[in-house]
Formats: sequence, C-alpha cells, structure tokens
Amino acid sequence: MEIPYTASIRPDTGVTNQKLGMWLFLASEVMLFGSLFSSYALLRSGAMSWPDQSSIVNVPLAAVNTGILIVSSVAIVRAATALRGGNVARFRALMAATATLGIVFLAIKSVEYRGELAEGLRPSTNNFVGLYFVMTFLHAMHVTGGVLVNLFLCGPGVNMNGHDAARFLGRVDAAALYWNFIDVIWILMFIVLYLL
Amino acid sequence: MFRKYVFSLDHKVIGLQYALTSLFFLLIGFSLAVLFRWQLAYPGQPVPIVGRWLGELNAPGGVMLPEFYNQLVAMHGTIMVFLAVVPLSVGAFGNYLIPLQIGAPDMAFPRLNMASYWTYLAGGLVMLASFFVSGGAPNSGWTSYPPLAVFATLGQTFWLVGMFLLIVSALFGSVNTIATIVQLRAPGLTWFRLPFFIWAQLVTAFLLLLAFPPLQGAAILQFADRVLGTSFFLPSGLFVGGQAVSRAGEGNALLWQHLFWFLAHPEVYVLILPAMGIVGEIIANNTRKPLWGYRVMVYAILFLGFMSFLVWAHHMFLTGMGTIISAFFQTTTMIISVPSVIVLTALLLSLYGGSIRFNTPMLFALAFLPMFGIGGLSGLPLGLAASDIPLHDTMYVVGHFHYVVAPGTIFALFAGIYYWYPKITGRMMNDVLGWIHFVGSFLCMNGILFPMLILGLAGVNRRLYDGGMQYAHAQPLHGLQVGMSYAAWALALFQLPFIWNVFASLKFGRVADVNPWHATTLEWTAAPTPPIAHGNFETIPAVYRPAYEYSVPGAADDFVPQNSASL
Repeated sequence: MEIPYTASIRPDTGVTNQKLGMWLFLASEVMLFGSLFSSYALLRSGAMSWPDQSSIVNVPLAAVNTGILIVSSVAIVRAATALRGGNVARFRALMAATATLGIVFLAIKSVEYRGELAEGLRPSTNNFVGLYFVMTFLHAMHVTGGVLVNLFLCGPGVNMNGHDAARFLGRVDAAALYWNFIDVIWILMFIVLYLL
Repeated sequence: MFRKYVFSLDHKVIGLQYALTSLFFLLIGFSLAVLFRWQLAYPGQPVPIVGRWLGELNAPGGVMLPEFYNQLVAMHGTIMVFLAVVPLSVGAFGNYLIPLQIGAPDMAFPRLNMASYWTYLAGGLVMLASFFVSGGAPNSGWTSYPPLAVFATLGQTFWLVGMFLLIVSALFGSVNTIATIVQLRAPGLTWFRLPFFIWAQLVTAFLLLLAFPPLQGAAILQFADRVLGTSFFLPSGLFVGGQAVSRAGEGNALLWQHLFWFLAHPEVYVLILPAMGIVGEIIANNTRKPLWGYRVMVYAILFLGFMSFLVWAHHMFLTGMGTIISAFFQTTTMIISVPSVIVLTALLLSLYGGSIRFNTPMLFALAFLPMFGIGGLSGLPLGLAASDIPLHDTMYVVGHFHYVVAPGTIFALFAGIYYWYPKITGRMMNDVLGWIHFVGSFLCMNGILFPMLILGLAGVNRRLYDGGMQYAHAQPLHGLQVGMSYAAWALALFQLPFIWNVFASLKFGRVADVNPWHATTLEWTAAPTPPIAHGNFETIPAVYRPAYEYSVPGAADDFVPQNSASL
C-alpha cells in the first residue's frame, strides 16, 4: 500500500510529508547551531579578554564566500521555479550552478583554513579560534552534504521526474529549503565570527 | 530475506528490532547495577562467582577498584537512559503502534526509519566497545561533567561519539514520528479522537527533536576539548593531579552543565510521557470507561512539553547561580509539576466507578500510579533551592529519579509488552508467570529504592565507592545497603519468569482473538492479529468516534470500535 501524501498535499494540514519533514529537520538544526552560537556568546562574555576577530580571520575571502552562497541561493530557487514550469534543461543547468557554487565556497573555505593553519593558528590557540574552526567546519560539513544532494538531483536523481514529477518537485523544494537554511546560517556566522 | 528481517523498511519489523535491542541493553544496564550493588553492600570484599572474570585491571583478586566502580555506575546510567528506556518507549512502542493506531500503512519515511534503527545500534555498539579500550568504559558519570570528563580515559571519547550517533538516530526517529502523526491519520481521525498514547508520542517526539541537538553541540565541543586540545570547558589556572594544565583556558565548565541539562530535563519527560500514554490506554481498556479528563490530559502534556524547556537549571542550584535565577527556575519547576499531577489525577479518577479487570498489564499499569506518584512528589523538595542544597548529590536524588523511571516508566513498558504481545504474535502471555513477575518486581523495586530516600535524608552521598562506610553518619545505616543489594539480586531473579514468558509464549501461549482485550482503538479493530507483513490494513479504515467509547449506553457491546459507524 502506498504511503499517502508523499507528493500530494494533505488538505487539512496544507503540506506534503516531504516538506513537513524538512521543516522539522531544520527546526532541529536551529537548536544545534543555536547551542553553538549560545556557547560562543557565553564564552565571549565570560572571557577576560577576547581577540580582535577580524584581524585573525580572513574577512575579504569570507565576504566573497558570503556573496557566493547568496548567489547560489538565488540559483536554487530559480532552479525550482524552472522545474515547476516544466523546463527540465534549465532546472538542471541552474541546479548544477548551485552545486558548483557550493564547491567553490568549499574551495575558498579550504584556502582560508590553509592560511590560518600556516600562521600557526590551531583550535587550541584560544577559544575564539577553537569556536571558529568548530563552527565553520560543522557548517562546511552541511555545505558538503547539500552539494552532494544537489549534484544527485541534477544528475541521476532527475530520472524520477519522468515517472513521479510531483514527488521530484517536492524533493527539489526540500533541497532548496535546506540550501537556503545553510546560507542563512553562514550569514550569521559571517557576522558573528568575522565582523563582531 | 535481508530486506524482510534485517534491513527492513516495515515499521513493525523495525519496531521489533528496536524492542529486542533495547531489551538487551536494559538487561546489560541492569546487570551492571547488580554487579556494583555488591560493592555497596560488601565494600572491599571479592565479588563472588563473577569476580574472577572481571579482569585483573578492573578487579584484582575479584575486589572492585574505584575506577571500575565508576565505569559501572556511569555506564549503568548511560545505557539505561539512552540505550534502553528511550529506544524501548519511543523506538519500539512508537514505531510499532503509531501507524496501527492512526490507520496508516507505514511510517511517513520508511528509509529514514531504518536509518534511525541502524544509527541507534551503531551508537550502542560504540558505547559497549568502550569497555574494551585502554582505561575501560567512561567513568565520569552519565552526565560527563568537565573538567573531569575532558581528562578522563579514552572511553569518554567513545561516549561522545556514541552519543553523537544516538542523537542523530533520535533526530531521524522524531522527524518521522511527527510527520506520521500529522500527515497519515486515517480519514475521520481528528486531533481529539487520537488515542492518548499518540498524543504522548507526539509531544515526546518534539522534545527529542528540539532538546537533543544542544547536547550534540556540547558533545562536539567536548570532543574538541579532548581531541583537539581546545579549552571550551576548561577554566584558566586548572591543576590536574598537582600539575598545571597547559591549555589556553578561559573556558567555562558550567557551559557544559547548561547544555547538558537543557537536553536532560526534557529527556526526563521523554522517559515518562510514553509511559503515561501506555498506562492511559491500558487503564481505559481495563476499567471499561473513557479516560477521565482526556482533553485536559492532552492540554496538560502539551503544556508540560513546552515548560520542560524552561526548568533545566534546577539541576544546578549549587553552581552559585544567584538568587534571582534560582528563584526563576524554582518557580518554573513548581509550575511544571502541575501538569504531571493533572495527568496522574485524571488516571486515578479514571479508576473510579469502573469494573476493573485485574489482568497482568493492568497490574503493572496500576502500580505505575503510586510509584510515579512517589517519584514525582519526592522531586518537589529537589525543585526548591533551599531544600535542594542539603539533598543535592545524595542518595535521595537517586531514589527520586529511580522511582520515576524504574517502577514508573519501566513498569509501564512491562504493562505495554503484556498488553500488545497478542497483537504482535497472535498469542497471549502466561498470566501466572506475569503475576509472579509483577509481585516480585513490585516488592523488590521498593526494597531497593525506598531505602535510597532514607539514606539520602541521612546525608549519604550518591557517588561513594564504599557505600559510605568511611563516614560516621552513614555507618549505622549500612544495613540498608545490604538489604537493598539483596532486593536487587532478587529483582534479577524475578525477571527470569518474564524472559521465559516472552519466548515460551511464542510457542505455548494461548492463541489470541483478533481483539483479545475488547479494545476500541484501530490497531485491534481494523488490522488483523497478528498483523500482515506490509500495509497493515486491507483498506484504510474510516474513523467515526473518539478513542475510548467503552460502556456506551445503548450499545450492543461494552466497547464501540473507533471505526464502527453505528453503535
């Protein structure tokens, strides 16, 4: 027996299973990143001295990275719109662009890490550098997961569009939600870890 | 074959996988307690029978070393909470029963469901593996407080990795549970027609979803402290073993406690809510009456779920948090006791005027009420800062939370196993063995736990390796420790009839009817017993009435199934 509302909207709740599941997952992610941001606030407010963050980390590179993620967010939303309009080729191109931008983000992030490690900075240097590495690495892991999903959706995953278009669109919408979420998390990290 | 029994996507098979695995962990966790009770009763004497198998590193000549005792206690707590009771009440009962009770063909995300089980198993195995690494299992208590835990042996790293996996598993499970309950209810099954068990599982899933990630964040930070040499939880100027610690410092050990208890207080309600749900089902069924105050109970647990996020620091009254903050947290703590009392009162009033059937599940469900009552009421003095200060970290605390979880939650889980066993296997469990199991467990549980309250009030600390023999104020009470240990060993013996009953009834149990308890909920009336392999229902049932239509005046039977259109 088929599981109902996998792709179709349940009238009295107004969502599909996929969409609800993704929102619930993001709620949980808010608590995960929230706990780390809270730890940052508590450690910083309790510290005798806190380093000048922007002189330690690479603000220009991170600013470029922020722009890249914002552009990729626009791209994935437009990809979903293209798919909704039935333009599969355009969807695939935009989704591939999203994934590529994600990979560029990770490449720039690794250049940043390499620079910091070359300067002798380690997680153990002080609590700011420790939190910087832990939080941005956790974020980078989330980006990696998102890139893999996006690659799947514009690659082999697109076959599903042929036989179950509604469900495939639901998947793309969920992927877009997730991608925008990690974009928002990055913007918060950029403000908190680089600028403040 | 593998798809059917091992990597199954069917919620019933996954539920049974959860059930067997968590019952196994329940046995392991209990065995650790059986073992360390020897040390508390007869400190410094060689452990009989099993002493020589504990290893020379842990127990030279069979005498337990303090480090090994700490491992046993830390792992007893960790295993019981995270590997036994939560997976059994949520993973097993939730998985098996939610789709059947709401008239759904399966959980909303079957693959996620399978992933949840296998991540749980991986987390459990990592935890168990820690016993075999250098330095043994984690020995910093189930709360893993830093700085102690940061400098503990390698086992603590396993604890953190295991916990990370368990939280991922809980995330998968809770997303699935909520989506299933919200989306897959059968036509006509409106919110206030849901069985109370479903409500309890829904609130529990929200707690798992939102309270566990902060511990995941904390575990990541502690992992960094241990492996990368950061000092998130290490203050400046720390000395370990007389040596100054060469770390950057400036960390905050209390940060861990905040993150840990932000998880672990909602966790308390994760432990108790499914149990309340099970007891509600069984009491309504065996009193042949609707639950008294069903709607109020639902509102109470919704409020309980919300409030449980606002009480965590009552575990930390002794951290010097100041009077304003402790006043806030003791106020919220007093408020959160109200919904628990509402649920317990409603369950108690449900008994009034019923013609009660005293079968095995009902005995356990009835015992739940006073046992959870003692557990809950003994917690009130701990919620008030003034009385918590002398009681903090004494055996009284241990007695309090064990009353809630052991004869509270675990009795409810036993009740659930006896109640739904015919649903799962098509056969009844033996009532005589069930009665022996019940009476023995009830007496022994109280024999272990009530003296804890007495010891705690006398000021005996909870983390003493010798049961308090080195302190003058504890020595006159040492006889209690001996008695408690005998009760624990007897409790172990009284579990044998249960284990036999579970396995032997598969073959020798009386064949059950489709609806042996004459229940109203969908799992008994719309689905075949034992259930078909896939799909659960021949057709998705339609629901016409609330969950507990027992003894309706004018009806042909004393129960009207939810899917019955006419009386």
